[in-house]
Amino acid sequence: MTVSARIDLGGHRLELRPERALFWPEQRTLLVADVHLGKDQVFRRQGLAVPAGVVGEELRRLDQLLDTTRAERLIVLGDWVHAPPRSGDRWPLEVLEWRRRHRGLSVELVQGNHDRLLGHWLREWHMVDHAERLVIGGLSLVHEWLADQHSAGVSGHLHPGVQIRSGHERVRLPAFLRGDDHLVLPAFGRFTGLMERTVFPATQRWVIAGDSVLSLPPKIRA
Amino acid sequence: MHQLETLFSERGWPVFDYQRRAWAAYAEGWSGLIHAPTGSGKTLAAWGGPLLEAMDNPPQALSYLWITPLRALAVDTAGSLNRALSDLGLDESVALRTGDTGAAERVRLNKQPPPTLVTTPESLSLMLSYADSGRRLGSLRAVIVDEWHELLGTKRGVLLELALARLRALNPGLRIWGLSATLGNVDQAMAVLLGPAKRGQCIAGEVERQIEINTLLPTETESFPLAGRSGLHQLPGVLRALNRAGSTLLFTNTRSQAELWFRAIESVVPWPDQVRLHHGSIDRKQRLETETLLRTGQLRCVVATSSLDLGVDFSPVEQVIQVGSPKGIARLIQRAGRSGHRPGQPSRLLCVPTHALEILEIAAARRQVELRRVEARAPLTGSLDVAAQHLVSCALGGGFRAEAMYRELRDTHAYADLSRQHWGWLMDFITRGGPALSAYPGFQRVIEQDGVYKVGDRRIAAMHRMSVGTITADGHLQVRFVKGGSLGQIEERFLTRLRPGDHFLFAGRLLRLERIRDLVAWVRLGRGGRPAVPRWAGGRLPLSTLLADAMLELLAAAADGRQAKDDLTPIRPLLARQAEQSALPGPNHLLVEQTISREGAHMYLFPFAGRLVHEGLAALLAWRIGRDEPRSFSMTVNDYGIELVCDRPVQLDPARLRTWLTPERLADDIMASLNATEMARHRFRDIARVAGLVFQGYPGRQKRTRQIQASSGLMFDMLSEHDPDNLLLAQARAEVLEAEMELSRLRSTLSRIQQQEFIIRQTERLTPLAFPLWADRLRGQLSTEDFQARVQRMLSTLENGHMPSRPAAGSATRAVAG
Repeated sequence: MTVSARIDLGGHRLELRPERALFWPEQRTLLVADVHLGKDQVFRRQGLAVPAGVVGEELRRLDQLLDTTRAERLIVLGDWVHAPPRSGDRWPLEVLEWRRRHRGLSVELVQGNHDRLLGHWLREWHMVDHAERLVIGGLSLVHEWLADQHSAGVSGHLHPGVQIRSGHERVRLPAFLRGDDHLVLPAFGRFTGLMERTVFPATQRWVIAGDSVLSLPPKIRA
Repeated sequence: MHQLETLFSERGWPVFDYQRRAWAAYAEGWSGLIHAPTGSGKTLAAWGGPLLEAMDNPPQALSYLWITPLRALAVDTAGSLNRALSDLGLDESVALRTGDTGAAERVRLNKQPPPTLVTTPESLSLMLSYADSGRRLGSLRAVIVDEWHELLGTKRGVLLELALARLRALNPGLRIWGLSATLGNVDQAMAVLLGPAKRGQCIAGEVERQIEINTLLPTETESFPLAGRSGLHQLPGVLRALNRAGSTLLFTNTRSQAELWFRAIESVVPWPDQVRLHHGSIDRKQRLETETLLRTGQLRCVVATSSLDLGVDFSPVEQVIQVGSPKGIARLIQRAGRSGHRPGQPSRLLCVPTHALEILEIAAARRQVELRRVEARAPLTGSLDVAAQHLVSCALGGGFRAEAMYRELRDTHAYADLSRQHWGWLMDFITRGGPALSAYPGFQRVIEQDGVYKVGDRRIAAMHRMSVGTITADGHLQVRFVKGGSLGQIEERFLTRLRPGDHFLFAGRLLRLERIRDLVAWVRLGRGGRPAVPRWAGGRLPLSTLLADAMLELLAAAADGRQAKDDLTPIRPLLARQAEQSALPGPNHLLVEQTISREGAHMYLFPFAGRLVHEGLAALLAWRIGRDEPRSFSMTVNDYGIELVCDRPVQLDPARLRTWLTPERLADDIMASLNATEMARHRFRDIARVAGLVFQGYPGRQKRTRQIQASSGLMFDMLSEHDPDNLLLAQARAEVLEAEMELSRLRSTLSRIQQQEFIIRQTERLTPLAFPLWADRLRGQLSTEDFQARVQRMLSTLENGHMPSRPAAGSATRAVAG
């Protein structure tokens, strides 16, 4: 059984989901960040033997999420891809097939630093391009949190993670970070690293352990 | 040969018979292994043959390769080889090529190859990866491998086996000579070095070096602790010993112990500037400086770890002190050999036990040294990660043909049994990333052209050369003074636990952390404050089987009242108490104790098989008992035994216990009883780097190694999911069982237990043997609960403030939900 955490952000009720995503029930909207599609291909091209199948797996995870939440709108908070597709790459076609399976869904992108030079692919994938920012109900949705940002909002980019230590045991887990009225999402892509130190002044943190989102007691140092 | 004898007599050294035999064997075209204790003239025994040959037949091209395991030793080695040359009136023509050799010098070496090159296994592999390697290395007459015992049993050794097979293929007449300290399996050591097809001569240095081993015994026996490990309570005795000798090398087993001892000695002796600290994390320049000062007799005391175990001649050292048990005989002899490093002089070693049972360990070690019995070192076989790396190196070095290369691999001990199936997988791995069934589109490292396998891409070539070698760097941070000056490196894991302003002890100084930026920890000298001492991973060897068995013999002898040597006197009362409350363990019986306390029902077993074996044994036993009667255990182990604690006593009868301790189905049960996947995931870090699955980065643009750790973990997950039959995953699992659990030693321990009589005692309180295990308990936990429950428990532990203290060296505790 999955356990989500519910929070109130800028007057909206949001669900932190263990699938590394944020669900906004009132808007029937699903938010994910840092999917980094095609990263495995970049590795292979440099002679590092990563098997294919990563993209397919990420898309299947999205399928499942869309299915459970019945979201009508998917907003990607940046870094949808790891690098622009090159000719001969198969994975952009997998994304295309996936898109065809979800014709009724609105898929939108707030661009991240990895999404540059996507060119015609955004059109082919039928994705709405919001450039740097999208504002819904007073919530500012961006890729990267900046220290001078004061309005309530949600971002990605940091790939936050927390290391929990108890005696001999150590685990590193993806995390949601909150400071004031801003929330940072964990990376959705699983072939991405975790950052334990971030510049973000978090006052509250949740970790994803299996299929639960657990709130972290404030005194634990990461 | 006459010239060499003159050379020796001029220096006032005797020529030993074994040196004459080695020179003669070389002249007759033999390969072989020379084994003798440290400081008995092995270097000249091996170098004499080539010297004589070079006088008759001056080399025109690169003719001799001298392989040394440590870069730091290379300079010294080249120096002493050159000295021998000039003493004979020949040109000093030995050059160096190691990871420290600059680009310009390397180009010069390529253009004008010196007759002799001193190098490391990694640099040799790198030389093989250049297109003209066949021409340049084909002229070799002989390869000499120094300190072969250090490489045997490691992946670096395997890498060298492969490189030697390559050199043999280039020149079938190549002579290969190894130099080794005394080992329990010298014949095997030679066979591994020479490869399965080559015969050789095993030459023993018959020089009996006298080793005097003394134990620093505490004056007040009653206050001697049963557990604990810094040993600083023995400081007064150590100071007396330091004052008696002109110069002393003081060895500790861990770097943290070295820091503490250095600090203690330096702050009480009247000559603090003649005390130095030497361990693997200290800045290289400082280490070299210390070594020079030591060699020139300017230091009274150097506190060191295994960083000073090898090579370099420190003849002025008068005495060696060993703090704590050396855990093995070979190591003890090696360390003793650091003093009086000259043929004919005795080695003197003072052992300083840190707790009561170490007195027994040291006494046992001493008996073994007297009997000249030393541990064997088992060679590695079948490591596919190393083979994959070597194949890419050969593809770069002019390319190879598949069939010839398969034969070449099988001409090593490590891959003599390499199956067609595994060979096929290796070739798939380097050409396609994996078998055709799992798709690796767009991947290619090695390509085939007209039957020759090559590397086409320059970037891949550059990346590969950057990654040659098998030693994995843990995440390390440079430690530097804010005002300038580097102190060395500390593991990232330790430093990231500190906050700015925290104090810690490093490189013998009290330091205050200012900030961490990029890969540098900036510090100032600290004042006051309670310092933390970094704990470095590794370095904690389990008690060797040979030593453990010797301890059991001593205990049995004590039980029978036989043998009354003085060195056991201080612990006689303790042994008597153990015998009275329970019984003494021995080689023919297994002692089991059960007792009840407020904490629950305790069960102790004392197999004396070393910490790693006990970890596996404890998990296995708890799991098997839990399978028959569900319950939860917590466990603790040390080098002597294990403790299992649960809420109610286990009904023990010998027959049941015997079935729980059967060696049957061992591998399956041990995998089931441990969190083996997580351990394999961790193990995969090294394998991924060696096999070229992750890349460490270019110099200067170094990617943080923490990121590599993450990506090797990710790589493990990705492979497990998408290519579960990948043989490198299987290798990670096998390495966990062998290297981290010592599976074969566990198996033989269980077989031995099956032959033993069980003595099961119910005791009223903790016995002297049980106490250290009890004292070590509750230092950490690991369990087979599901992941989520585990994290939840960890969080609630932290929330309630029951922060368990960090695990201490020598113990490990796990809880198993049965």
